[in-house]
Amino acid sequence: MNIAEFFFLLVLLLSVAGAVISALAPAQWTGRILAICGTSAATALLIAAAIILAGHESIRVDLWRLPVRGMLRLRVDSVSAFFMLALGISFLPAYWFSDGYMRRYLAHYDPRSFNIFFHLLLAACALVLAAGDVISFLLAWRIMSGLATFPITLEHRQDENRRASYLFLAMNEAGIIISTVGLLWMVALAGGHTGFNALHGSLRHISPAARWAIFLIVFFGFSVKAGLIPLSSWLPQAHPVAPANMSAIMSGCLLNFGIYGIVRFDAIILPPISAGPGLVVLVVGALSALIGILYATIDNDMKKMLAHSSIENLGIIAANVGMGMVFTAYHLPVLAAIAYVVAMYHMINHSAYKTLLFIAAGAIDQQTGTRDMNQLGGLLKRMPMLAALFLVGALAIAALPPLNGFVSEWLTLQTILRSEEFTSHFSRVVFALCGAGLALTAALAVTCFVKAFAMSFLGPAHSEKASRALEPAKSARISMAILALACILLGIGPTWVIPTINRAMKPLAANLAANALVPPFFSHPHGNKDFSPGFMHDFAHIGAGIGRNIIPARGLVVLHQGGKSNPVVYAMSTFYMVGVLALIIFTTWLFVRWGTRRRTITISEPWAGGLRRLAPDMTYSATGFSNPVRVIFRSIFGPAIREDSSTAVAGHFRTAISKQRDDGYIVDRLFLRPLTATVNYAAKLLAKIHKPGMVNAYAAWVLAVLLVILVINRLL
Amino acid sequence: MNQPLNHIDQQIPIALRDELGDRVSGIVELESGLLLAAVCRADALPSAVAWLVEQRKYRFATLVVQALPSGDQLDYWFYKPDNGPWVKLSVRLSSDAREVPSVSEQVHAVDWHERQAEDLFGLVFTGHPKLGDFVLHEEWPEGINPMRPEFNVFKPMVEKEVDPQWRPEKILHTPGAFLMPIGPVYSDYAESAQFFLETVGEDVVRMIPRFFFKYRGVERLAEGRSVREVLLMVERFSGTSAVAHATAFCRSVESIGQVAIPPRAEALRLVAAELERIRHHFGLLSDMCHSTGMIVPSADIDIMEEEALRLSAQWAGHRYLYGLIAPGGMARDFSQSDMALLIAQVSRLADDARLLYERLQFTSSFLDRFEGVGVVPNTNAQRLGLVGPIARASDFKTDLRVHAPYGLYRQCPLEAEALESEGDGYARIRVLFAEVFSSVELINKAMANLPTGAVITPVEAVVAGEALGSVEAPKGAAFHFVRMGGDGRVARLQMATPSFTNWHGFHLAAENFAFQDFPIMMASFGLSIAESDR
Amino acid sequence: MFGWFLRGAGSRVKTTRYPPEFDSNVGISPGRPIATQFASSQEADNAAVQCPTQAITAHDNMADINVSRCVHCMACSHGEAAMKWQNDYDWATLSGAGASTTTRPFKKSLHIRLVDSGSCDAVIQEIKQLAKPYYNMHKLGFFITPTPRHADVLMVAGPVTSHMRLALKKTYDAMPGPKWVLAVGNCAISGCVFAPSFMAAGTVSSVIPVDVQVPGCPPPPLAILHGLLVLTGRAQEAPPHVTTTIAEVPL
Ligand code: SF4
Repeated sequence: MNIAEFFFLLVLLLSVAGAVISALAPAQWTGRILAICGTSAATALLIAAAIILAGHESIRVDLWRLPVRGMLRLRVDSVSAFFMLALGISFLPAYWFSDGYMRRYLAHYDPRSFNIFFHLLLAACALVLAAGDVISFLLAWRIMSGLATFPITLEHRQDENRRASYLFLAMNEAGIIISTVGLLWMVALAGGHTGFNALHGSLRHISPAARWAIFLIVFFGFSVKAGLIPLSSWLPQAHPVAPANMSAIMSGCLLNFGIYGIVRFDAIILPPISAGPGLVVLVVGALSALIGILYATIDNDMKKMLAHSSIENLGIIAANVGMGMVFTAYHLPVLAAIAYVVAMYHMINHSAYKTLLFIAAGAIDQQTGTRDMNQLGGLLKRMPMLAALFLVGALAIAALPPLNGFVSEWLTLQTILRSEEFTSHFSRVVFALCGAGLALTAALAVTCFVKAFAMSFLGPAHSEKASRALEPAKSARISMAILALACILLGIGPTWVIPTINRAMKPLAANLAANALVPPFFSHPHGNKDFSPGFMHDFAHIGAGIGRNIIPARGLVVLHQGGKSNPVVYAMSTFYMVGVLALIIFTTWLFVRWGTRRRTITISEPWAGGLRRLAPDMTYSATGFSNPVRVIFRSIFGPAIREDSSTAVAGHFRTAISKQRDDGYIVDRLFLRPLTATVNYAAKLLAKIHKPGMVNAYAAWVLAVLLVILVINRLL
Repeated sequence: MNQPLNHIDQQIPIALRDELGDRVSGIVELESGLLLAAVCRADALPSAVAWLVEQRKYRFATLVVQALPSGDQLDYWFYKPDNGPWVKLSVRLSSDAREVPSVSEQVHAVDWHERQAEDLFGLVFTGHPKLGDFVLHEEWPEGINPMRPEFNVFKPMVEKEVDPQWRPEKILHTPGAFLMPIGPVYSDYAESAQFFLETVGEDVVRMIPRFFFKYRGVERLAEGRSVREVLLMVERFSGTSAVAHATAFCRSVESIGQVAIPPRAEALRLVAAELERIRHHFGLLSDMCHSTGMIVPSADIDIMEEEALRLSAQWAGHRYLYGLIAPGGMARDFSQSDMALLIAQVSRLADDARLLYERLQFTSSFLDRFEGVGVVPNTNAQRLGLVGPIARASDFKTDLRVHAPYGLYRQCPLEAEALESEGDGYARIRVLFAEVFSSVELINKAMANLPTGAVITPVEAVVAGEALGSVEAPKGAAFHFVRMGGDGRVARLQMATPSFTNWHGFHLAAENFAFQDFPIMMASFGLSIAESDR
Repeated sequence: MFGWFLRGAGSRVKTTRYPPEFDSNVGISPGRPIATQFASSQEADNAAVQCPTQAITAHDNMADINVSRCVHCMACSHGEAAMKWQNDYDWATLSGAGASTTTRPFKKSLHIRLVDSGSCDAVIQEIKQLAKPYYNMHKLGFFITPTPRHADVLMVAGPVTSHMRLALKKTYDAMPGPKWVLAVGNCAISGCVFAPSFMAAGTVSSVIPVDVQVPGCPPPPLAILHGLLVLTGRAQEAPPHVTTTIAEVPL
């Protein structure tokens, strides 16, 4: 057993131990146990992942041989290790946060069962990533999905919660069934090999039609887990009802498993040979991003808003994966590598800031009793620490420099512009449209999080409870601080992060992305064999020599090094940007301080046109802030007017105008509801055909189905 | 009202008697049949009013409340366009009674008059769904009514403690709805008033106006003062239509004192009133141009406005024509050269205006902002009893110069009332320009055969009595009720001003508009707070 | 659009040359009565009686005038007992103790917030005129601003009605210092014909300290401009209110 394996075993043992202790210990200890056992397990996981990523060790364990389908293997390669890193980043603070947070449930619910499942969830997640063959992967996946359902229903006495968890369960089960079909088909086509490496090797020569079919089945199966359009309905339902630590996990790492599945099976094991599959992924991703952010912008429930924003972020990740697949198919390995690296970069960013924001939302909910942004406001003064940490998360997710969201979104947009290298006009057009969609998404994300921050933390408190809220428990603040630090580090250190991710993504990216994105010209002024002397010479002009003396690392993120057709260099450095920003802010501050040194400061109430008192309901509400978006994208929201009436006395004096409208979820409207209606209709039709006792008819049906299967099999 | 009309509808008194039967009593014809006064039983009031307005097409003029020693008396004044005597329905309350049935369901124009009487007299209009917080704001102590005789006018008001939670009643119920407060101190030059916009962001569903920030209590201050002193206030409470209000007031006083004013004074009054109208309309048009940011046209019209002001000062000594109208005629006479100057200048201004109007009609960026903005459909204009250019832009005929002519307007009638049908901002612009041109014509006509002779009939001590004087002020119909006490002093003054009438209509007409249209709408209605608040 | 440009470029300069030149165009000001010597004390008494606001007081054959009471009723401008009229407009005065002119930085750039505390609208129209082509106060560095937060000067018109008192105070408090107050029109100075009464304080100075007052009902634009110039120390204030000397001023 090597060290990585030891730590991995530790993860499993600690999780199980946590579960056992939880079952035995009194309910009051719940939070503490999570904080101690859970956090140590997550730390062990991080260590194991780090060791593997550093390239020293890997995990190769053969468990036991199944009677029919070969060996159950644990294999952790660098890709899995990277996903484990994201897992740890999300789980560690979520566990730590539980310490103070679980107390709120003690009065009404017994959180012990929650605790057991929450502990085991980490082990199951780790096992999914460690699975080295299809069978153990499916088994672990099964367990993980089952375990995840229970923590959502902690507050099981509320109808809404039960409904949401049923939806979660149903859609995830459907996803599992679909992907199981796809994976088993793969195994069948590969002649019974189940190991990932063996699969990769033996699937090389299957027919294009089978490729397409497998791709579609696997992609849509896993896209349920990733919450991509059109299979995202469960996400905005399940997130708000789950306890905040669970929603943080769901958004921060469970969604990543969908991406893992897509990357593992659609990109690594069965790499695309035509642009089609990649374009599908790209379009689905871009659509998810746009739809996700639109709903996030207009939603006033903080957790629901975050859930919609998760759809958006997963959409961006999927779009990058899709781009990677298209570039692979067009034999542009450098660009493909960049796209995959950016996808992973965005994924880990999302894990960091979304966990942070969910924890913040949970803390706000705990302290004010509401998640409705129309009821919040003025929290900046009541909880300045939380506000500062939330602001970091909000700026990061809104993709503002120098935080991590900016780096990955900027790289995404830059990558999508590289479609100029294609010969196919169709692909170019798709890329252009998706690029426009993603750009709009980025702009709306700013609106969305300006609203979230402004309506919750600024202005007057819109409810009694919000005006009396206090700073959350220390555990919440510490866990958020860890994540905020992660956001900042990931933001200012892309030149270190990108090579690391590149190393992790070796099966897909070789060593191409790092060299292309962060050329090492600072450390090698001349003579680097990857770069032409002319190129190095050009960079020497723009200060490469100076940079070498200041920071001993790759200093710039360069996306376009200037070709013959387009001799422009796109480059940026958040690291330098921070330096310059800090300098500017500091000098401005000094200047202002100097200029105003003799001023007296008077604090007076806000100017409201001489109004006697500016009441909170005379200031912008969250609904009002996002109303322009609601009006502009009316056709997408397809609002259902529930009530529009005015109560009048004799037609002149109106005593009440009442307007109620529900914004329908476009996915439900266009996909889920027609689907269920069709299934219902088909079922009724079948019920009509199905007359009890007609054995002949049954036999005919069975024959017909068999025939169809044979024909399909023949065709493939 | 001191000269009989030609075609009085003789049927009205008979019909009134027949239809209303026992509900009214003591129908008398006053002022040679021009005024029918009847006393109405309080409970029969709504049906009587409804019959007058719906069956007989009468229009509501004003509600005059008088706190008499015998008990409160409420006079509902109505007039009929074109022909027909004015009607005054009186309700007399016993000395301690305070309750009257509300008629604003039947005639919506009475709404604000009732709310005003509720605040000022402490009357209760049963069935009115919205009383309180109107003239007197939240800081005014409960149960004190400034128009009651026992109230001390010279004791400064003591503010009461205001509930910090106080706010106007919100009627929009939708998640996330909020009140956007505007004012009372807002915009660059706006008069003080407050508007709460009920909105969910972007689209304003409804507007809650709050007025009377500028309430100076002119009507209360007038009580017990001499005609000369009251005239100063009547001129100055709304300085931009001083001539109109002074004329209305003087006409009431003259009617009480049975004074016939000299023909030359009648002609000069018409000239002064039309000059004021021209200047006033220039002011409104300038505000409209400014609200759309059209710099050159607004500069053009600003220049015309200032030139009209200078002309006024040159002609009559004062830029806003203060001190020109006097009870019995005019305060001063004018020489031939004064009049020649006036005619020349006014015609020049009209030419300039015509040029500007033609240019504006071809400026799409200007028209776009006004077309379809602040639309008042004709039905609404009628229902709310709007007056003035706003009503006429909605094809609602209300010009008193035509429909209840007074003074020289009888001999020298307005050719045609300026009417438009769209009821939007652009229609109002067209009405304003058309009125400027017709005013110039009127001035020319009146000057063509200007009578000679005295300009004032000295008004001796005015006897006790009451009368309602009406004029078409620049903003619309104005009614001044005056009751003189036996001591030659004013015992009661009640002014129903066009801005008061139209603000009531405006806040109901302005619904479901985009927030950025608000300033343009305000400018296109061009109403005055000073005139409404008194 | 281009047509408007040509129209704007083609029209003459209308703006007054005041300051520094005295603007003697007819109609820019109604003028105001000044102390007048009559032939007999009887005539002086007649002059005093005709004033409805007791702005004219007679002693011997002199009729003195208190301009802060004069409401421009024009009664003494014509007829047998007419007073002498002076067609000027530089009427603004510093308002007694505590009044100050602006400090140096504000001399050439002053931002003004207007508060209507119950005015008659005519005075607002006259203030509006200041920003219009004929007067164009912008060339002198005076600007109207919609928020008191940017304002250096509060211009108040009207007799300060009870309902506006709070708003006026709030506006004054919302202004950053240093700040000055200009009371425009007789209503703001003395309450004119409306105050003091149950609904109006009558003077702005009873609510907030006033620095410069501009009499007139309404004061013509140039009088208000003179007020601003006095406030910034760029013009001499008018002689005191009660004039007892007979000044033969050429018109
Ligand atoms: S103009 Fe002035 S001074 Fe002359 S009478 Fe009128 S108020 Fe008195």
